Amino acid sequence: MTIRGLQTIDYEQRAMVSEHKKRLHKVMTEKEAVATFLNDGDSFCIGGFVLWRQAESVMREIARQGRKNLSVIDESGDYEGIDLLVELGILDRIDIAYSLTRQIGGISGTPALERSIREGVPRSVEAGGVLVTPRDQIKSDIPPLKIVDWTNFEISLRLMGGAFNVPFMPCRSSIGSDIPLYNTEMKVINDPFENKPLLLIPAYKPDVAFISVQKADRRGNGQIWGFKGTDHWKARAAKHVVLLTEELVPTEKIYENPSLTIIPAYCTDAVVHLPFNCTPTGCFGSYQIDGLSFNSNLLQRQTRIGALKWVDDWVYGCKDHFAYCDKVGWERLDRLAKSEHKFNRIPA
Amino acid sequence: MPHLYTSKDKYNPAQLEEMEGKYTPPELVSCIASREVEDREVVFVGIGISGLAGAISKLVHTPNCILVTEAGYVGFPSLSVLISPADNSAGLMAICHQGLADVFIDLQSGLVDVAYLGFAQMDKFGNVNVSYITSRQLKMNGSGGGGDIASSAGRIVYTAEFNARQWVGKLDYMTETGFFDGSPDARKKANLVGGGPSCVVTDKGVFRFDLVSHELYLAEVFPWQDKKKIKTLKGIFPWDLKIASPLKILEPPTEREVTAAKQMDPSGQYTVASILDRPIGKLISQGKIGLEACDLMCQLGERAISEILESVT
Repeated sequence: MTIRGLQTIDYEQRAMVSEHKKRLHKVMTEKEAVATFLNDGDSFCIGGFVLWRQAESVMREIARQGRKNLSVIDESGDYEGIDLLVELGILDRIDIAYSLTRQIGGISGTPALERSIREGVPRSVEAGGVLVTPRDQIKSDIPPLKIVDWTNFEISLRLMGGAFNVPFMPCRSSIGSDIPLYNTEMKVINDPFENKPLLLIPAYKPDVAFISVQKADRRGNGQIWGFKGTDHWKARAAKHVVLLTEELVPTEKIYENPSLTIIPAYCTDAVVHLPFNCTPTGCFGSYQIDGLSFNSNLLQRQTRIGALKWVDDWVYGCKDHFAYCDKVGWERLDRLAKSEHKFNRIPA
Repeated sequence: MPHLYTSKDKYNPAQLEEMEGKYTPPELVSCIASREVEDREVVFVGIGISGLAGAISKLVHTPNCILVTEAGYVGFPSLSVLISPADNSAGLMAICHQGLADVFIDLQSGLVDVAYLGFAQMDKFGNVNVSYITSRQLKMNGSGGGGDIASSAGRIVYTAEFNARQWVGKLDYMTETGFFDGSPDARKKANLVGGGPSCVVTDKGVFRFDLVSHELYLAEVFPWQDKKKIKTLKGIFPWDLKIASPLKILEPPTEREVTAAKQMDPSGQYTVASILDRPIGKLISQGKIGLEACDLMCQLGERAISEILESVT
């Protein structure tokens, strides 16, 4: 296929750039965004890092829409959301570096994941090629949930590689450890220039990236305050990018701080105006972590019965994120915002 | 290293017992570990006790060190114990808000001098497991940035409340690289950037690594650890633990260090091991999770940060 006279262009690759990215008005609801971009069998990532700026609302929406056979890739974090999807048996594969497990004094940070490993409920697990659910615990013929271990940098490099549009990225992390020994998707080679060991990390392009930002316009220019995480790489690696914004602003506002636009409009497929979409995690300059909710949820989710009750109440029991906020209570959310504004505030 | 070693003779036996009771294990570990940094170094901090050690260092010993967190916060004064490397309190008064990959690139460039890390299992040569305990079918947190940090930071200061289960002859899984089999150029052969572990700070003394054999040995103990206690300690290790001769005696946490530790976490929100014993756990177990309790938790956090903000500005 010829594009502007260039015979050599790989049209298949160009075709991956979705038509949605060209629109000048990308605002839709969260329900529409998940329905439009995330299909059964897809892979996705969410923005932010451990307990901050993580789109928890999207995880609940995915559960509500009953997607199946998804894979998720993340450095560290989103324990509540990922664990929710594990509890419902929605995930086929998790590529992750860190999942809070037993850090907090005997209470499991990812109870569904631990239950799956031990008891095979709702499905069995094959974790990092090291642990598998005992054979006598496997109750169904659904293939096991596969967990693949990486380090944070290696997950970042997978996504950077996706953004670079190259097959792999090299690095010098964890050579000689057991991570490349059990994870056979990465390769240690002797580099062709200096003949020294080098670790090659396969690039990855998730189908969808859901990224929480503090400000975005209708065209999809996303601005982030505070730490950037790997969000600018995720936005370039993923085939579709959905921004969940605390504030929907006119483009004039974007011009005021262009250096904060880490996700320009050409990356973005959809913009969802969704205040408090990260709660119970926090959002820099917008609201604090709701530690009390996070931890009481966690305690309730320690048993399968408790977890399913929690899912009924807080996921299926709310038709969308705003119904969830009603249930949490806007006074509570305002209090968390006030607490954050005491120290960090996004300029109007 | 700016150590403040003193002689054991300084203290009389009665004083020693009283002295030991004065400190909690997290205080002992974080205050002693805070002395492992030199001024103007770039320091990678983790969460919990390992973060607390970096924070005390910045406040008390090394005002010009630059603290870095994984999520991308750089050069913050440290205003609270971090529960996440992406905590907003690390973003406050920071010199730079960057990204996760940027921080790991900086690490691999060799710009980070020292890093604080915790650990679950360690062997004789400082190799670490934080991924799996196979005998108990247990998946632990996993590497996070630990594997990258242990590979690339100039040196690693491991911190932990001492636990007999942590020391093993053979790791279930090597997440973080130490000195491998102890052979002289093992790390160089693996083409790793960093120098490997420099010490392990626990509430039962400080362990260091022999410069030649790279084997872990007991280097420093607290004044209240007598010969009998040291013998018991030695017996815990599954290998024949070497002990420095002479053993150095640690200066117990100073008042300034302890004050700094308390400032970071006045209500014991993060340094208390079990969540159920923390203020938040107590509220939850009383069924107080409504708006009023939320307001109380917000107030606790705000007060802690405000107080320390005043003292650093």
